Amino acid sequence: MKTTKTIFATLLAALMLLALTACGAKAPANAVFTLDDLPGKTIGVQLGTTGDIYASDYESEGSTIDRYSKGADAVQALKQGKVDCVIIDSEPAKVFVSKNSDLTILEEPFALEEYAICVAKENADLTANINGALATLKADGTLDSIIKNYIGDDAGKTPYVSANTDFSNGTLIMATNAEFPPYEFKEGDKITGIDVDMAQAVADSLKMELKIEDMAFDSIIAAVQSGKASIGVAGMTITEDRLKNIDFTDSYTTATQVVIVRAK
Amino acid sequence: MESIKEKFIDNFITDDRWRYIWNGLGVTLKIAVFAVIFGILIGALVAIVRSAHDKTGRFKVLNWFCKLYTTVIRGTPMVLQLLIMYFVVFATVGVSKVFVAIVAFSLNSGAYVSEIFRSGIMSVDSGQEEAGRSLGLSYGQTMWYIIIPQAFKNVLPALANEFITLLKETSVSGYIALADLTKGGDIIRSQTYDAFMPLVGVAVVYLIMVCLLSAGVTKLEGRLRSSER
Repeated sequence: MKTTKTIFATLLAALMLLALTACGAKAPANAVFTLDDLPGKTIGVQLGTTGDIYASDYESEGSTIDRYSKGADAVQALKQGKVDCVIIDSEPAKVFVSKNSDLTILEEPFALEEYAICVAKENADLTANINGALATLKADGTLDSIIKNYIGDDAGKTPYVSANTDFSNGTLIMATNAEFPPYEFKEGDKITGIDVDMAQAVADSLKMELKIEDMAFDSIIAAVQSGKASIGVAGMTITEDRLKNIDFTDSYTTATQVVIVRAK
Repeated sequence: MESIKEKFIDNFITDDRWRYIWNGLGVTLKIAVFAVIFGILIGALVAIVRSAHDKTGRFKVLNWFCKLYTTVIRGTPMVLQLLIMYFVVFATVGVSKVFVAIVAFSLNSGAYVSEIFRSGIMSVDSGQEEAGRSLGLSYGQTMWYIIIPQAFKNVLPALANEFITLLKETSVSGYIALADLTKGGDIIRSQTYDAFMPLVGVAVVYLIMVCLLSAGVTKLEGRLRSSER
């Protein structure tokens, strides 16, 4: 009886010690300094994003791609040394790095891309209407002021305020993945960001009511295809594979893919 | 018909995409098999401690820990346990994700298996134990030679149920970026943007595995029952 207790206590103490060492251990030193270092490394990405698509090209060069459900999970894994770097869009990358002093972004951008809204192939009218609305918003500077409200030194100074109350053309359901600041993210219960304001502006000029559906990034295209949502707006880049299944509007902004690494 | 064939080729043949399913199946099986084995070991230990305590009043401290373990494990979602294992317990330790998943699923399964075993031990009539003890067997011998064989037979259907649940539960390991069977389908889905083929394909693979497992258990049940008549 006594021995069982002693053995158990020892085991428990050993387990606690193990947990303590786990807490104290440091993440390994950074090994990615330029894009040339990527082959053979473990790259963290968010499943189905452009970063995932581009990073997958390195699989044939011996890299391992860890596909997380959320960009933030990939960043967490990077902090703990589970992956060597994370490939993600530049704006969310800046937000992640500003909140984690132990991370930094490689100066060399990984890839350039253009964001667009995706619409089901059967819905060509909607695509044309949105293109028209986007052209107007670009011409009158609304789009610029929406983007400036989130990126740059004047952030927060030019919020977009929806003034439209005429919903005669029905509802515009927007599928998004609100894990992607500053394009779409949650502020309290509300989903906000560049994409949300832009979609609101588009809905206003089309005289439609905007409704937002938050879902996993890799479900957005399927939701739009099946008609569960009318548009998908989530910092989405036009790629050949995506074009096979879905249509895109004109691009509304450009962005870059960058590589986040540990600072030390 | 033609489009179904095309979709099949696009989802599984092009770029060797079936590899995601095949490799994922390997990972899923690896996790499930090890988790079942360690789950049984943990579950048996916990069940023996707890039922010994219930019957004899020994192992007070140990029983308290076992109770705490089952309460915590059964009281929290599997996904959270997995994430805690990955991001908290093994935060900076360089172990493979498969190992983390095996530990998490074993601990989870152990809690459920322990209750199944306990119910089995309790289900054996106390006259059996009394008979064993009065024949001069020790408590341990009575347990090993008389109670456990009968208990095991009683709990086999419930145990098989737990393994089926465990096998399907491993589908949450995608949360720690582990490329298991479900994640394999998700990766294909993220490349082809077709929902039907990858999802249904993966579902069929799970279904086949569960059918094989149940068939095996039914056979085992039949063989164990042959001694009853």
